Amino acid sequence: MKVICELSGIIDYRRPVQGITDIKNAGFEQVAVSLNYLYKNETEFSADHQSFSEDYKSFIGKSRRENIHISVFRVPRIIYDIHQAVLFKIRQKAAVEAIKLCGEAGGQYVIVPPAFEEASGIKAWQMNRDYYLNLAKSACENNVMILIENQYKNYNGHMVRGIWSDAGEAAEWLDKLNELMGEERFGFCMNTGTCSLCGQDMHDFAASLGSRIKVVVLRDCDGHNEASMLPFTAVSRGQTQTDWLSLIRGLREICFDGGLILDIRDTVAAFSPLLRPQLLSFAKATVEYIRWQIEIEHSLKKYKSIVLFGAGNMCRNYMKCYGEKYPPLFTCDNNKELWGTNFCGLEVKPPEALRKIPSDCGIFICNIYYREIEKQLRDMGIENNIEFFNDEYMPSFHFDRLKRM
Amino acid sequence: MLQIGIQTKNVIFDNNPEEGFELLKKSGFSCADFSLHSYLTNMSLYRFELNDFFNKSDGELEAFFKPHKKAAEVFGIKINQLHMPYPVYIPNGSKELNDYLFNVVAPKSMRICAFFDCPNIVVHGLKLARNLGSEEAEWEYTEEFLSTIAPMAKEMKITICIENIYTSIGNHIIEGPCCNARKAAERIDRFNDKYGAEVLGFCFDTGHAKLVGIDFEPFITTLGSRLKVLHIHDNDGISDLHQIPFTFTKSRENMASTDWNGFIQGLINIGYNKVLNFETSPVLTSFPEEMKSEVLKFIAKIGNYFSGKIKNNS
Repeated sequence: MKVICELSGIIDYRRPVQGITDIKNAGFEQVAVSLNYLYKNETEFSADHQSFSEDYKSFIGKSRRENIHISVFRVPRIIYDIHQAVLFKIRQKAAVEAIKLCGEAGGQYVIVPPAFEEASGIKAWQMNRDYYLNLAKSACENNVMILIENQYKNYNGHMVRGIWSDAGEAAEWLDKLNELMGEERFGFCMNTGTCSLCGQDMHDFAASLGSRIKVVVLRDCDGHNEASMLPFTAVSRGQTQTDWLSLIRGLREICFDGGLILDIRDTVAAFSPLLRPQLLSFAKATVEYIRWQIEIEHSLKKYKSIVLFGAGNMCRNYMKCYGEKYPPLFTCDNNKELWGTNFCGLEVKPPEALRKIPSDCGIFICNIYYREIEKQLRDMGIENNIEFFNDEYMPSFHFDRLKRM
Repeated sequence: MLQIGIQTKNVIFDNNPEEGFELLKKSGFSCADFSLHSYLTNMSLYRFELNDFFNKSDGELEAFFKPHKKAAEVFGIKINQLHMPYPVYIPNGSKELNDYLFNVVAPKSMRICAFFDCPNIVVHGLKLARNLGSEEAEWEYTEEFLSTIAPMAKEMKITICIENIYTSIGNHIIEGPCCNARKAAERIDRFNDKYGAEVLGFCFDTGHAKLVGIDFEPFITTLGSRLKVLHIHDNDGISDLHQIPFTFTKSRENMASTDWNGFIQGLINIGYNKVLNFETSPVLTSFPEEMKSEVLKFIAKIGNYFSGKIKNNS
């Protein structure tokens, strides 16, 4: 799975060196480029288009020199108060240009918004089909894939599900487009912020689209107002406003292995540029955590055998969701009263028992005092790999929690 | 013209149901949505608190509601739909509590519905996706529940109407059971085929739909004739406020932020000719008691407006 940094708000395309350095130092190797700045308004589009385009090309060269790979381009969602036919031409020009730039940069995907976004159902399909098929020719020439993305509509200030927010319908669209092309030239970009604004069940959404999802835009918001914030930062009363559980479950279920695009432009704008390097490092750690959660089984698959540390709720959740597939040899706990008992089918042993496990056996800490326990084990001289298990985003949960905990 | 209905909560009172039904009639309503859920509220159930209302025998319950039924008949108000108490299952509730909801409250609600000669009963699907891991698994439990009352529904000629409801993450409302029209339509058809009768239908709740960004027109159009009853109300898109339609604006232009045109168009698309029912009981506690009659008349007038738009464009 690739971790991709959306550059909006981070890079000044006229002077990109500092931004590229910050991104590189934070550990990002892949970036997504939005062409929003090319199409701020009609006047600017006409007057400065050429110079902006040159800035982008210059940026691509500088990124390449720093080993930063541009993997995704985004065509802006252009909205001008002009005649539909004129607007259509501008949208088409933007899309063709983005596809070309993506090809030149060696990118993989171009996210292209619909030419006609107000229609729905069969009408939307009829109106947009030819637009996308025409772009597909250019996509073939440049060896890139076109991604469609779930949209919302603004109905007098209230966000309503727009085109492709019905995942089942979007899947049908993609299959038809690819069938007409005779190859997989179209895929899906799942935007978590849009799903959240439309109150959608992201598990169901991801499951309906399956392997058609090529990239996921990770952004947080309060579910009511458009924003692109760092995941887990839109909170109320100590709880996140975005249903990350459903997202992680959904992506895990479909064995998602595409790109995670981190879009945090509003968080970046809110922090001082002085804190940008630290913010980007933390943002990278956040998206890596989400990736780790999606791929939680990868760490289990690595070992021939495993043991758990902890005989409480987290151990119970492990056994419920993974106990059968990855059965531990035993679990251990610091609570002497549990030693020798059976918990969820596992014998509970004292930590000392870890001295006798095979050297290639992984120890999974099933307790939130991860670092404290890890230190305890290292101080004991345990040299086996120690991994942290986490049950916040389990495929399912018990209906209750253990009272003794 | 379509018939106009409203929920009985905050209008019909047990000590004098005639007064309430008379008020509804005078205000312009011809139908009522009987708020059976008022007798065992969700607030108390989530606190694991049961009262003894449903401990009454069927005979006692009929005797209790006889004055209500008679008053409705006297004033020509048809009880077209009834709301079953909800939730019907509490994930962290005791087995005794959940058994009571499944085996006592639900069947007794069905019999009360039949007693009122009411053709539709609205139920909430079980909110279990978080625990079970998926909406599909959640629906299996809901279907299991529906199966316990479906034979009664067939015998009593009642349609059980599943409603689009929501769940919450922090204070952000997101879709809960029955928010996917295509799935709902497929499930309703499959269920009805199984029972050889129209035992399952849909209750479209405008307020809940708005909260989770559902586009009204395609949703209603997809449901088609499976749509049996309505819960019409409005909110700010953030909280489930159950207020009067056209109340909420969110932009400087001050246009309604709820897509009532889409609602009307959806009903036109499917040839809806049933009751336009309002679920706006909180309005009656927020306005002064002295204005209750005028408020009810105003709500009925909005119903007439919807009706006119639907009929004139059908």
